Amino acid sequence: MSSLRRRTAGLAAAALALGAGLAGTSAHASASPSRGGVLLAKPVHSSSWTGTKVLTRTFTAADGTTVSLPAHKVTVTVDRTQNLRSRERVRVSWKGAQPSAARASNPYGENGLLQEYPVVVMECRGLDDPQLPAKRQISPQTCWTGSVAERSQVTRSPGEATWSHDLFATPGEKGRLTGMVPFPDAQKCPGADTAGYYTHLTPYVAAKGKVYPACTAATMPPEAAVGAAFPPNEIAAFTDQNGRGSVQFEVRTDTENESLGCSHSVACSIVVIPIAGLSCDQPATPPSPVDAACRKGGQFLPGSSNFANQGVDQAVSPALWWSPSNWRNRFSIPITFGLPPDTCDVLDPRPPTGFYGSELLAEAALQWSPAYCLNKQRFKFQMNVMSDAAGWNLMETGGGPAAEVSSPHPKVVSDPVGFAPTAVTGFSIGYVIDKPGNKGEYTQLRLDPRLIAKLLTQSYLGSDLGRGHPGIGGNPLSLLSDPEFQKLNPGLSTNDTEAASTLLSLSIQSDVIKQLTDYIAHDKQAMAFVDGKPDPWGMKVNPSYRGLKLPRSEWPLLDTYVPKTQNDCRRQHPAVYFNELAAPVSTMSTIAESLLDAWPQIQTRCDFDLSTNSFKLGRIDPQPYGSRFMLGVVTLGDVARYGLRSAALETKSGTYVGPTKSSLSAAVRLAKQAHQLQPFSMDMRDLRSGHAYPGSMIVYTAARLQNLDKADATKVAQFIRVSTTQGQRPGSGNGQLPEGFLPIRDRGVTKKLFVSARQVATAVAAQKAPATPSGPPSQTPAGPPATPSGGDLPSDAPTDAAPSTQPSATPAKLPPSDTAAAPMPPTQALSSRLSKGLIPALLLLGLLGLGVSAASRFFVRPPRRSR
Amino acid sequence: MTVTAPRTTPEVTPPVDPRPAGLTAVRTRRTPRPDASHDTGVLISSAGLMIALICLWAATQLLWFGGVSEARDQRLLYDRLRSELAAATAPVGPVTPVGDPVALVTIPALGVQQVVVEGTASGDLLAGPGHQRNTVLPGQVGVSVVFGRAATYGAPFARIPELRVGDQINVTMAQGRRTFHVVDVRRAGDPLPHLLAAGAARLTLVTAEGSGRFGGVAPGRAVYVDAEATKGFPAPSGLPSAIPAPERVMAHDNGALPMLVLSLGLLLALTLGMVSARQRWSAVRVWVVASAPAIALAWFTTDVVMRLLPNLM
Repeated sequence: MSSLRRRTAGLAAAALALGAGLAGTSAHASASPSRGGVLLAKPVHSSSWTGTKVLTRTFTAADGTTVSLPAHKVTVTVDRTQNLRSRERVRVSWKGAQPSAARASNPYGENGLLQEYPVVVMECRGLDDPQLPAKRQISPQTCWTGSVAERSQVTRSPGEATWSHDLFATPGEKGRLTGMVPFPDAQKCPGADTAGYYTHLTPYVAAKGKVYPACTAATMPPEAAVGAAFPPNEIAAFTDQNGRGSVQFEVRTDTENESLGCSHSVACSIVVIPIAGLSCDQPATPPSPVDAACRKGGQFLPGSSNFANQGVDQAVSPALWWSPSNWRNRFSIPITFGLPPDTCDVLDPRPPTGFYGSELLAEAALQWSPAYCLNKQRFKFQMNVMSDAAGWNLMETGGGPAAEVSSPHPKVVSDPVGFAPTAVTGFSIGYVIDKPGNKGEYTQLRLDPRLIAKLLTQSYLGSDLGRGHPGIGGNPLSLLSDPEFQKLNPGLSTNDTEAASTLLSLSIQSDVIKQLTDYIAHDKQAMAFVDGKPDPWGMKVNPSYRGLKLPRSEWPLLDTYVPKTQNDCRRQHPAVYFNELAAPVSTMSTIAESLLDAWPQIQTRCDFDLSTNSFKLGRIDPQPYGSRFMLGVVTLGDVARYGLRSAALETKSGTYVGPTKSSLSAAVRLAKQAHQLQPFSMDMRDLRSGHAYPGSMIVYTAARLQNLDKADATKVAQFIRVSTTQGQRPGSGNGQLPEGFLPIRDRGVTKKLFVSARQVATAVAAQKAPATPSGPPSQTPAGPPATPSGGDLPSDAPTDAAPSTQPSATPAKLPPSDTAAAPMPPTQALSSRLSKGLIPALLLLGLLGLGVSAASRFFVRPPRRSR
Repeated sequence: MTVTAPRTTPEVTPPVDPRPAGLTAVRTRRTPRPDASHDTGVLISSAGLMIALICLWAATQLLWFGGVSEARDQRLLYDRLRSELAAATAPVGPVTPVGDPVALVTIPALGVQQVVVEGTASGDLLAGPGHQRNTVLPGQVGVSVVFGRAATYGAPFARIPELRVGDQINVTMAQGRRTFHVVDVRRAGDPLPHLLAAGAARLTLVTAEGSGRFGGVAPGRAVYVDAEATKGFPAPSGLPSAIPAPERVMAHDNGALPMLVLSLGLLLALTLGMVSARQRWSAVRVWVVASAPAIALAWFTTDVVMRLLPNLM
């Protein structure tokens, strides 16, 4: 009847489902546009899951014979199931299902109920294993839904109670009041028990054992409250006319949903129920209305949309997912969760050693840190995300042992710094865009530097409020009405939205902003636009940004335009409109979550507060499904975790490259290292010449090579060694490299990075000054300290360089006498003739002058007197 | 010596003096034709007097007046350091504003007690010994270098070459007191001191010395005195990597040139003022009014000139 198989790597079916991800390394404008969402996903994930079932709908005829509708052999694939993170999105795809009808624009939660033949995907606590105790098994009562309507059918007329004629229901489940024994009283569930009406409850059993009857909104778990912190994640997804469909399903942990309670210690499952329609038992003679309702097959055509939210046939709707006919068709995919981010704080009492810097490394650090703190041989690693410059300064001034940066920063102290390549990753312009007409998500966004420049310079007007902006009143309102964008991305809606006029970006200094603006700076057309030349369609740069110097590591908000309007709210709160649109945030994970929820950070919503009789400005509402459009700067690590889509960026004219393993490799191939232990440089001019991804960045662990505390130096060296070996093994386990990163290996293009990291690890551990070819040639490192040279600091240069660490390396306990083995260099002669001769000269000259004066007076006066 | 030219001007007045004194009634005879020898004589006499005045003034200020100024600076710095130590706000590095007191150095063998200021440029050392900014503070683990003048402005380090191995040098700074013992007195060619043991502190005093008859006032060669303490106070990291050229040994500070131009201009203006005042007022009155500003300006100018001279002299 059903054949469920767990498959591991190398499976053809999984490859088929996901193979599209890496089909092309880069995409040419005309031929094959690059793929957005599945970039960087490996074709077959080691923890993917595939299962096949044959689903049949059976009617029992009046004479007791059974009639089966054509069977559907459905195959469901989930791309990863192991060590999931909170809010991670996994790709659930299927084929062979009954084509759906009455497509809803928003398939999530109760909005998805009015559809026919959808595929319900939900998260349930427990495993589908009859061997387990009942508490740890899944059942409809442990499956999470965000509303009552998805769980229970309350006070239905007998003609609507199709579930009471379910072929597979036990007699006890066919009654008037079903689902809970004993049935809740009228006080708890008012109206549920109304004579002549049918009610079925699917109570929810929370992780701690509390049972919620789910007959009204008040008897649902707290996380299902209206306006709960997180939107529903259960989805009634659409199957296309070929029987295929896919969805990115967001998993929740006990952090987001305590009642569901999934965690690394509480097993959970993703349950996929392709709705095939109720199977019905023997009808009455003559058939009653409910017998007819149970046998209905849908009133919408396959592939149609249900914009008006019209009623659908209950027997084929997702509302009865819990009925035995549907529940028996489930695919339950066991999933495991990774250790929560606070694992190390809880399990390891040692004080953490903080590394400070780039957010690009955040996702990797999340997986790496338990591999350190749970291993007593290693130190307790803690990654503290902050701006690259702040991390660098902390490292330089001794506030932190090492910094995670992507480029060299200005030095403030003299100690040399080594850069160990730690991760190859980058940033991406993430997006969530729906195609118009309920056609699903747009997955092929392409952007060029000028479009990014237009977004960043606040040159789109956003809405009519922006039309009064001096100098650019004729500009398009948003990307959607910009002919340049329309040419690159045909087929999108042309209705402007505020969210389409801005790119959600970072408010702090970051190497990511530097790389992004460097990408703009290396494009002639984009720079001509920034410098004031209108684009071919007449769009001009916002005068506040005209001539802005690029690249820069922090994007400024320069506009000062306050719209003049009759709107009471805006008159009470005059604010710079374009800055409300841009509203940059301080971390890229915030941007990623905004994209995940399609909830822009735009701050133009205006509410009237009756209690204070005043207006207040705030964040606008999340965007409705079907008309989402939002862009943001995100890390590739977040792109992989949250299943976001990445825009393909223009490299040479007409070539658009998205972040894939091969485009990152191509970028690494271009990286050059000028000096040992120093960072590699990837010239944007080279990056923009072919198939390399322009957003590729190498994250370095930067640490001082001198004057670093011995214990810290050992830790940093250990981190570099571990993170470039064990830490580069792709996988979802502790200490492994998550997706979104290109592994640094001892072979191939990344070999030079690996070798450099090893050298830096050795140099950091040694804490000895290297022979830096770039620095001033003041010191020679061999054996005893350097001889003074040149004119600088002759007396102390040799000894003050490393007073605390050198003694351990050389026999310093020797008494300071000349009998020591190593002769010390001589003190250099330093003298000044001016200093030597000045005062005697002054005295001599003064006395001489005095003498001359006296003498001349003596000789000159007598003649005057005689006259 | 660029100083000479303008300083001649105030002394243009003395030649005017004798005339009214002797010939008050004979205003009409203002333009007698004195013979050439008389003219030359006056010229030589006044030029000689001018040169003598300038040179002797400068020498006097370098050797004695400067000492007065330094002693006053030291008194103020001592008070400040004392209150900062009491309030635990005295600097511990790595970066201290230039000119702030950082430590008190006492050398009992020589009877020297000096407050060390931050910075070793020529101008910083006018107030007392200066701490080289890219080294740890005296008393901290590592090598600390302190410069001091050898002949001028109080000559605080004039006698340190006389120190002998084992002599004490006491240092009081923000973190406490440390006693150093002199390890060696180094001159050109002597070997540098050996590597410092872990946790030890070294204090290197730098000054200059001369030789011969005028050795005391002709400090031409740098000399170093190394003293060590077995245990130093912990030093903060983040020392600046290098110091500007004017703060190195025997360096001078060309940055004072604009200030020199200004002060010379002021001297010129004072002279012209005196000349014109002499047309209306009697000589006595002019001198009473002008002598104080003249001395002040001369003092200030010499201070500025000092910054252009090597820092250890």
